[in-house]
Amino acid sequence: MNNNDFEFENMRQQMTTLKNKLNKQEIVNDRLIRHSMKQTAGNISRRYYMIMALCLLMIPYSYWAFVKLNGFSIPFWIFTCIGMLICGGGTFYNSRKLSDSNLMTNNLVDVRRRMARAKKFDADWLFIGIPFAIVFLGWFMYESYLLHPDAFFNGLFWAGCIGGTLGAIWGFSLHFKTQRQYQEIIDQIEDLTDEA
Amino acid sequence: MTTLEKQFAQTVAEHKSTIYTVCYMFSQDADEVNDLFQEVLVNLWKGFESFEHRSDIQTWIYRVALNTCISLDRKKKRRQSEVRLTMDINLFEDRDEDTKQVGMLHKRISKLQPFDRAIVLLWLENLSYEEIGQIVGITAKNVSVRLFRIREQLKNIKD
Repeated sequence: MNNNDFEFENMRQQMTTLKNKLNKQEIVNDRLIRHSMKQTAGNISRRYYMIMALCLLMIPYSYWAFVKLNGFSIPFWIFTCIGMLICGGGTFYNSRKLSDSNLMTNNLVDVRRRMARAKKFDADWLFIGIPFAIVFLGWFMYESYLLHPDAFFNGLFWAGCIGGTLGAIWGFSLHFKTQRQYQEIIDQIEDLTDEA
Repeated sequence: MTTLEKQFAQTVAEHKSTIYTVCYMFSQDADEVNDLFQEVLVNLWKGFESFEHRSDIQTWIYRVALNTCISLDRKKKRRQSEVRLTMDINLFEDRDEDTKQVGMLHKRISKLQPFDRAIVLLWLENLSYEEIGQIVGITAKNVSVRLFRIREQLKNIKD
């Protein structure tokens, strides 16, 4: 075919040929469809349930560990529970926007917007997470000092500091990894949708 | 099978050629068509229950199929399906005249960038600029501009 004579209409005819061929075929069998349907309960649903379950479990667990076992105050336990519920709720809210079904059923430009919003939400989360962690750790130290002053000066303080530091390192590494992943997806979609 | 599963099976059967066409245009061989087809079905099923029929089902199917194919094309991720597509057709190997014509179409389209491939594919399906825009998320005006550029690009592709 002469390249200069090339028209979209030729392609339309070829497309019609393709459709005609396909319409004569029995492409789908029941087993294939059933196999697809079995894969519904994917990672996302499991992640939602896990986050919610952990949040709920933390309420009785922290009561047992802090109040019953170590004699910490009830307000400290309530503060911990509120923090956990906000954290779980926020994660759940953000994950829901990124579910596979949402990503696949929206157009790419919408997906990019969702990703950008999710990334911002995740970044803004630090404004809640860091103050909460500082107050929690400070309060934890204070309660430990009131209840066990000797143990506090004989290592409990440093144990708390090391635990807090390790937790912060882990938390920040997860945060930056998530941010990087969001940005990679946004960049990939921009590569596809930007004007050439 | 539940009612929802029956509805899904029927929908897939009705739109099999649409799904297959998208998968074929984003594949390089018959195995890849099978993988993509399976992946599209999984994603369609995930969203089937929450599909609210605010848009045409075919528009929704196009969107899911294209997003899946572009996404997998992007990642170059391959996975071996346990269940293979049941079909007698192999558009990559058959040698009849019609398949050659289809092969020429595939060859041209596969040289485009994935996003442009999606746009030209929808245009070839006789969708309006508005419908194409709704599916891929750009304005109708933008669709016409891109199609003009695609046309220029296709002119320069040697068969």
